[in-house]
Amino acid sequence: MVKVVKAEEGEILDVELNVNLQRKNLELAEANRRLLESFGVRAVDFMGSVGSGKTCLIGRLVETYKLEYRIGVIGGDLTTTIDMNLLSQLGVPVVQVNTGRECHLDANLVAKALRKFNLKELDLLFIENVGNIICPADFPLGAHRRVAVVSVVESPYVIVKHPLTFQTVDVVALNKVDLTEAVKADVDKLEADIRKINPQLEIVRTSCKTGLGIGRLGEALKLTSRKEGGLQA
Amino acid sequence: MHEFSAVTQMVELVLTEAQKQNAKKVLEVRVIVGKLSFLNPEQLRFAYKVLSEGTILEDSMLQIEEKEGVIECLKCGHRSGVPVEDDPYYHLGIPFLRCPKCKREARIVEGRDFTVKSIRIEV
Repeated sequence: MVKVVKAEEGEILDVELNVNLQRKNLELAEANRRLLESFGVRAVDFMGSVGSGKTCLIGRLVETYKLEYRIGVIGGDLTTTIDMNLLSQLGVPVVQVNTGRECHLDANLVAKALRKFNLKELDLLFIENVGNIICPADFPLGAHRRVAVVSVVESPYVIVKHPLTFQTVDVVALNKVDLTEAVKADVDKLEADIRKINPQLEIVRTSCKTGLGIGRLGEALKLTSRKEGGLQA
Repeated sequence: MHEFSAVTQMVELVLTEAQKQNAKKVLEVRVIVGKLSFLNPEQLRFAYKVLSEGTILEDSMLQIEEKEGVIECLKCGHRSGVPVEDDPYYHLGIPFLRCPKCKREARIVEGRDFTVKSIRIEV
């Protein structure tokens, strides 16, 4: 007979769990990455405040690269499809993810969105996160590169107020530089703040209005022409 | 900002584990929060209070242990805490990803997690 010891009625037990709740998202993100790579798709995640110009910047990149690559876009938003309606006019497949009340996309939502695409027909996927410069930083999605979009009109302190954000991205687009004069922004100072917090970031000054820096942003995202060996996962 | 969803996940996990152990009540939950995550202990407590109501977690204690961030130099491999510049202008120091030893770039290796360490239950 096996001897069984049972807890007494009313006994107090300590149970070790050691479950990393962030781990679940990370595992799903890694699965997304593997899925994308199995189809040879390279993905880029864009995060930034509401109005920083994420949609516009993605639109510019789509226009620049759509003859070269087959591009798809996932858009994260709380309730609307405004951004993806705009981008769908560029003739690329788009999927809108409405988070309802959540302040960020997570790897699970992206996994669901990926099922809506025919991945065989894609080379490149842009993911536009929910407009928020804070929360998405805690949730990797499985993208190969992560971009923070910051417009120069936001605040002179936008970088120093959100240091952790700039420690989880690969590239920063300093957007709307055409408005530098109008709002008396000090773009050099913003750039110096970024370099101080995370010296290895690539920083690109962009303007959707003039088209400045769009090609450089593409290079930072390794979207250079196929002939030049671009688009490597 | 996303404390609510983080705690929802945590409460679900604790309820599942407590049920496995046939617990009548959960008395205490111990968690570790990395200081480089975007989770605020004060807001975690608030979300916990709200989300545990009406469950066997109600009135239990949430023990939060904050874990310091650790960075690793990409060049020399030196591990250290996150160097912080004390700027009186800001209430919190600004952390840098630069190796304090060789001044080269570094990456975060610890301090971004949210871990449920253990629970104390009454069976």
